[in-house]
Amino acid sequence: MTDISDTGASRQPIDRSRLIFWGVAALTTVLVAGPIVPIVIQAFLDKPLYDSSAGLTLGNFTRLASEPGMARVFFNTLYFGLLTMVLAQVFGAVMAVLVGRTNLPGRSWMGEVFIWPLFVSNLVIAFGWFTMYGPSGFMTLAAKTYLGAAPWNLYTVTGMGIVAGLSQAPLTYLMCLAAVTKADPQLEDAARSAGAGPFRALWSVTIPMIRPAVIYSAVLNFVVGIEMLAIPLLFGGPSGIQTVTTFLYDKGINAAVRPEYGIVGAAAILLLILVALLVWLQGYLMQASGRFVTVRGKASRPSILDLGKWRWPAFAFVFAFIFFTILSVFGGIFMRSAVTFLTPLIPFWKVLTTANFDLVFESSTYVRSIVNSVLVSTIGAAIGTFFICVIALVARRSEFRYRRPLEYVALFPRSLPGIIAGLGFFYAVIWLPGADMIRGTILVLIIAFMVRYIPVGFGAIAPALAQIGEELDRGSRISGADWWTTVTRIIMPILKPALFSCYALLFIHFFKEYVTAAFLYQPGSEIIGTTMLQLVAQGDNGPVSALATIQVIITALFVIIARRLLGAKIYG
Amino acid sequence: MADLVLENLTINYGAVAAVENLNIHVPSGEFLTLLGPSGCGKSTTLFAVAGLNHATSGTIRVGDKVLFDGKARNTVPPERRNIGLVFQSYALWPHKSVADNLAFPLILRKMGKAERDERIREALGLVEMLPYADRFPFELSGGQQQRVALARALVYRPPLLLLDEPLSNLDAKLRERARVWLRELQERLNVTTIYVTHDQAEALAVSDRIAVMSMGRMRQLGSPREIYERPADSFVADFIGSSNFLDAKLVQNGADAAQVRLADGTELTTPPGRAAQDGSVVVAVRPERVEVVSEMGPNCMRVMVEQKVYLGSVWQYVVRAGAVEFRIQTTWEINDPSVIVRIPAEHCALFAEKFVGT
Repeated sequence: MTDISDTGASRQPIDRSRLIFWGVAALTTVLVAGPIVPIVIQAFLDKPLYDSSAGLTLGNFTRLASEPGMARVFFNTLYFGLLTMVLAQVFGAVMAVLVGRTNLPGRSWMGEVFIWPLFVSNLVIAFGWFTMYGPSGFMTLAAKTYLGAAPWNLYTVTGMGIVAGLSQAPLTYLMCLAAVTKADPQLEDAARSAGAGPFRALWSVTIPMIRPAVIYSAVLNFVVGIEMLAIPLLFGGPSGIQTVTTFLYDKGINAAVRPEYGIVGAAAILLLILVALLVWLQGYLMQASGRFVTVRGKASRPSILDLGKWRWPAFAFVFAFIFFTILSVFGGIFMRSAVTFLTPLIPFWKVLTTANFDLVFESSTYVRSIVNSVLVSTIGAAIGTFFICVIALVARRSEFRYRRPLEYVALFPRSLPGIIAGLGFFYAVIWLPGADMIRGTILVLIIAFMVRYIPVGFGAIAPALAQIGEELDRGSRISGADWWTTVTRIIMPILKPALFSCYALLFIHFFKEYVTAAFLYQPGSEIIGTTMLQLVAQGDNGPVSALATIQVIITALFVIIARRLLGAKIYG
Repeated sequence: MADLVLENLTINYGAVAAVENLNIHVPSGEFLTLLGPSGCGKSTTLFAVAGLNHATSGTIRVGDKVLFDGKARNTVPPERRNIGLVFQSYALWPHKSVADNLAFPLILRKMGKAERDERIREALGLVEMLPYADRFPFELSGGQQQRVALARALVYRPPLLLLDEPLSNLDAKLRERARVWLRELQERLNVTTIYVTHDQAEALAVSDRIAVMSMGRMRQLGSPREIYERPADSFVADFIGSSNFLDAKLVQNGADAAQVRLADGTELTTPPGRAAQDGSVVVAVRPERVEVVSEMGPNCMRVMVEQKVYLGSVWQYVVRAGAVEFRIQTTWEINDPSVIVRIPAEHCALFAEKFVGT
């Protein structure tokens, strides 16, 4: 045994852990505030942000209020969001109970199909709906031919809401599924022994317990509806229906002469406040959810309810839902990409062609957008995973004094709609001295995507981190490791599965992203999403379907590899 | 080797004082146990020594190195304290093998591979776990994990070893063997050791000295024998072993002895003590110290046998004389309905108030 004074682990000249705490906190704050601050300033300026002669004004808001049709735009947005939410909740929750807790035939493969839409962007989904159910869509024409008329018109706010609601049902399904399958079966057993029949026990005990999941996903879907660009753009555009996002998009990008910064900033602020309020509401409603916490550490198998003679009617219902809202939508995209003209009136094989793919692969712009998408996702997700992991470690496993505020800031992008994040970073790179260097590069896309999806990655890492006992950190510290050595040598290796999951989730989100990039890309930094957005606007449906097909295939390959090789958990 | 000094150590959590004004000097090589019920502040104290809790005020010193000084707002971070710590849950890193668990602190100390392997072999040899060097923690039993945890805490030869209820996750038989083995190892290495437990039998068995704690304060510091035989207050008398508390009035208090009168009128000679303001006292006496005798004499009384319980190694009775009720223990069975008992003065302790609480 030796003297205590010099056998401790080697001294650091500066306390690097403290440097990391402050560095991470500062970087997070700058990145999150980056897109918001310029928008707020712009909303109160009478000239563009970069014009040094600009003065303060409230004029943008009065102009916005007096703009003809503005009330209509806000009404459309709220109605669209509300309809999206209601439909998604009803169908998602019912499907979760049927798939998760009954002996529905084919429940395992149908449950798998149910989460497909979560892997692709709502631009792809919207395009699929358009191809099948649009005015000259495959299903519409089929209905007109064989039934005499198609009883739907998706070019209305209600139609848009139906499309969005049905395509958001998988999100509700996913959240409710976790709740119904993880509920303690003993609670239902207790109801059974108290005299309740199996349906009664499910209805009176388990269904009420999924309330937090329903509330949580309800607000989430409302927010998704309000900030959604693709569906309002594809279905509202042709008939002149606008929501706040399409208004921002049109004014911000498509304004022929020059973008109207002031009014865009003002509208963006209103949207930001609305979404922030909803996210706050979500947190407020979830506060009392402790009384519904039933998840036990012990793995337990939920009992399966026998539907009896209702088995096949239930199957017909679920299968119809899957067929019309998922299988046919994906099928429509694939079919459209392989033909010159998609119609039920001409046999499929007579119009088969590879022209759509040829067009994509012959254009350097289209190929570049595919390459860029892969680069942004592969590299961006890696940087993002590391950054988010360090944030989570500082927020949850350090003695940093401001760790709580750091977590709060890091999770703020939940309230940041993609279109606003894109717009904000667009302003920021123009406005901040030196930031012009990264303008129009894929680097700015990576940064913007990363900021937007910090909460997604955090959600994948934080629960796993909570599973790791604090004694493991303490044991390392007392063995002579400082904070940074402890987290890199002890915590991160144990956290590996969660980091893989985080990477996979970020990859998928980055790969399908298009809204955030809409303002940020320039020739050279296109990604699949922005190219598709551009082509959709021009009505070039052939290459759009080919690009969408390529995007789906790459995503599917990635999901299979991530699940098999890395054992990543992606949506269950 | 080094001694550990705690001076006026206070640890507050918000408005709650978890540890209040603790003063302990642990000489080099001593095995000191912090003993008390849960929530008494013993683990809090231990982790403050390790630097994993922040003390509020006071000083913590090991040898001549100040680890914490409340006045100077000076805290050495845990990684620079060079202290060995064994956790209740062992805290073995699940992704590292046994050998790698031990290697980590040595790598942090920039030790070469050859020397490292030598140290690891030596430490694993000490705890008889050498054959398990390449196993992973989940492949070991609880007892084996506990040994590895101890080896990991010793491998860098810290001058101070802290043990936080290291045996509480073992089953009863293994626990008894492990504590003998632990004490032998500590004597061999002569490492200053602070041991935290709520198990009084364990504390009595392994310690050089015991610090009994309750509600953040130290109630008594002494050898196991002192703690058991001469408890400083009624809490210690009750917590270590078990005691009868007999209500009495102080009749006379002298320099070497006191006279008290029990509720039934019996007068007892006891060691001197302090009485409450109204002259009432409690006499603490352990059931196994009360003797059954054949005839009356000083400190004797006749009692009725009210209840009889067979405990295997002993018989325990509840006996009564008027309003005075207490327990006694014998190694043989009493069949008489009434016996004479003697309460030896040297085994009595006099306190002003009865311990109230858990």
